[in-house]
Amino acid sequence: MSARVAPITAERGSVPREAGIGLRFPHHHAILDERPRVAWLEVHTENYLGGGTPLSYLEAIRGDYPIALHGVGLSLGSAEGLDLDHLDRVRRTVERIAPALVSEHLSWSIAEGRYLADLLPLPMTEEALGIVCRHVDQTQTVLRRQILVENASSYLRWRYSTIPEWEFLAAVAHRTGCGILCDVNNIYVSACNHGWNPSIYLAALPPAAIGEIHLAGHSVRQLEGGRLLRVDDHGSRVIREVWELYAEALARFGPVPTLIEWDTNLPTLAVLIDEAARAAALLDRACQRIADADAA
Amino acid sequence: MPTLLEIQQAVGRSIVEGDDALAARYVVAEGLPPEARLGIYRNNFIGTLTAALKLCYPAIHRLVGAEFFEGAAHIFIAAEPPRRADLDAYGEGFAQFLTGFPPAGALPYLAGVARLEWAVNRALHAPDVEPLDLSRLGAIAAAAHGRVAFRPHPSVSLIEADYPVDTVWRAVLAQDDDAMAAIDPGAGPVRLLVERRDTGVEVTRLDAPAWRFATALCASRPLQTAIEVAPEVDNATLLAEHLTAGRFIGFERVCGPITSGPNS
Repeated sequence: MSARVAPITAERGSVPREAGIGLRFPHHHAILDERPRVAWLEVHTENYLGGGTPLSYLEAIRGDYPIALHGVGLSLGSAEGLDLDHLDRVRRTVERIAPALVSEHLSWSIAEGRYLADLLPLPMTEEALGIVCRHVDQTQTVLRRQILVENASSYLRWRYSTIPEWEFLAAVAHRTGCGILCDVNNIYVSACNHGWNPSIYLAALPPAAIGEIHLAGHSVRQLEGGRLLRVDDHGSRVIREVWELYAEALARFGPVPTLIEWDTNLPTLAVLIDEAARAAALLDRACQRIADADAA
Repeated sequence: MPTLLEIQQAVGRSIVEGDDALAARYVVAEGLPPEARLGIYRNNFIGTLTAALKLCYPAIHRLVGAEFFEGAAHIFIAAEPPRRADLDAYGEGFAQFLTGFPPAGALPYLAGVARLEWAVNRALHAPDVEPLDLSRLGAIAAAAHGRVAFRPHPSVSLIEADYPVDTVWRAVLAQDDDAMAAIDPGAGPVRLLVERRDTGVEVTRLDAPAWRFATALCASRPLQTAIEVAPEVDNATLLAEHLTAGRFIGFERVCGPITSGPNS
């Protein structure tokens, strides 16, 4: 596979380098009726694969907001190959919505044709790297566009891993020309769960490939023996440590479209917009730094 | 070293069947036992799918309560894990499962309500397909009309139940206790048409002949057969209603002899 340079920077234009929010069904009506000021919206692709009511909502708002489609079910890391019917349903939705960004995860969810309804971690091996790259290539070919691949949170590691996750993700972007969706909360969660240094993770990612950043809240479970496990449940506000890591990411990558994700214990739209405003303030500072550097 | 395929198959068996024996050997044992780490993913699997079933079957959930629903869902999920990643399409077999689930025996209308909820879910998420262009029918000679077999819109379902499941469904979702109390389970069977219209999903009662007529048409039996299974209906008026409501998306002309026997 030949190396291609990710043309992300040029494509960032379609989603503004501002803070958007993840749109979930309970907020459909509020978005439709109130048209609040939100820079852009992201939805889970799998919620809009059929037709009918959900898709018609999305079509009703896509003229007013840039939309990103964020997939959770393609299973890029499945050794048994991609589900081509699923990929075709994704293609049809992508063609109909013409989203500004399309993303998926560095994970797997399907084994023996059964969907395991979670983003499972991959063993970080050369074999898995080859499989993921083949599937990213296949997806980008079918969708006829670049996708972003996101780092997922994980709660276990495999005994056979030989490649650090951050090098694995950078290699996927380098080999396939895909972009990276850098989930800063997931980096923090996995780093805490596995004893990684999140700054090393960020430093290993190629800035030119970063097309989007995710932020979310997570929960902390106390395990037997006093150990803590951080669980990526998207059910609360972003914590201080993750805001700090986000600031570090912006210093490395420059201003990048940023999204607030919230899935469990969904609050009012106003709370999501408030979280987005916090991200926007940090994004403004990153833009200002660039302007200052240009002026100097 | 196991291949990626071997690891994934072992983890699939751990998550769906609860068999950790092989998968646990692949996990770094540090801080937390491998079985406990795999258990996090198993709990997420069950939790996510239970939530998906709850979204699809809100009336069943209210009728039986959270504890019963979750217990039934867990058994169903292990028996019929999803084969697709879009969970809007998950749970079709739940009504059939409830039919054979002994604890559900005390509520004989439960499986019928579940079938109605699945039809409603199907109508909500069915692909958007243009209805049949009626001018195309005009090109068929009147003598050949009996040979026309329609293709139904994917949002349309026809359901027959031994109990007034539509009344139960409406009362439960409206949390209308008076309406619930007024339901006569012995009121006899109901025959329903479920479809998506511009205004949303509609559930309509049909009388027995009209239901037989619509069911034959939606099973793509030729018009002549549909008329034969429901000779007492004003078929011209009913057909016109189905056509103007956009319940068909296409048709074929059937060749050869036409029988009104049961569906093959």
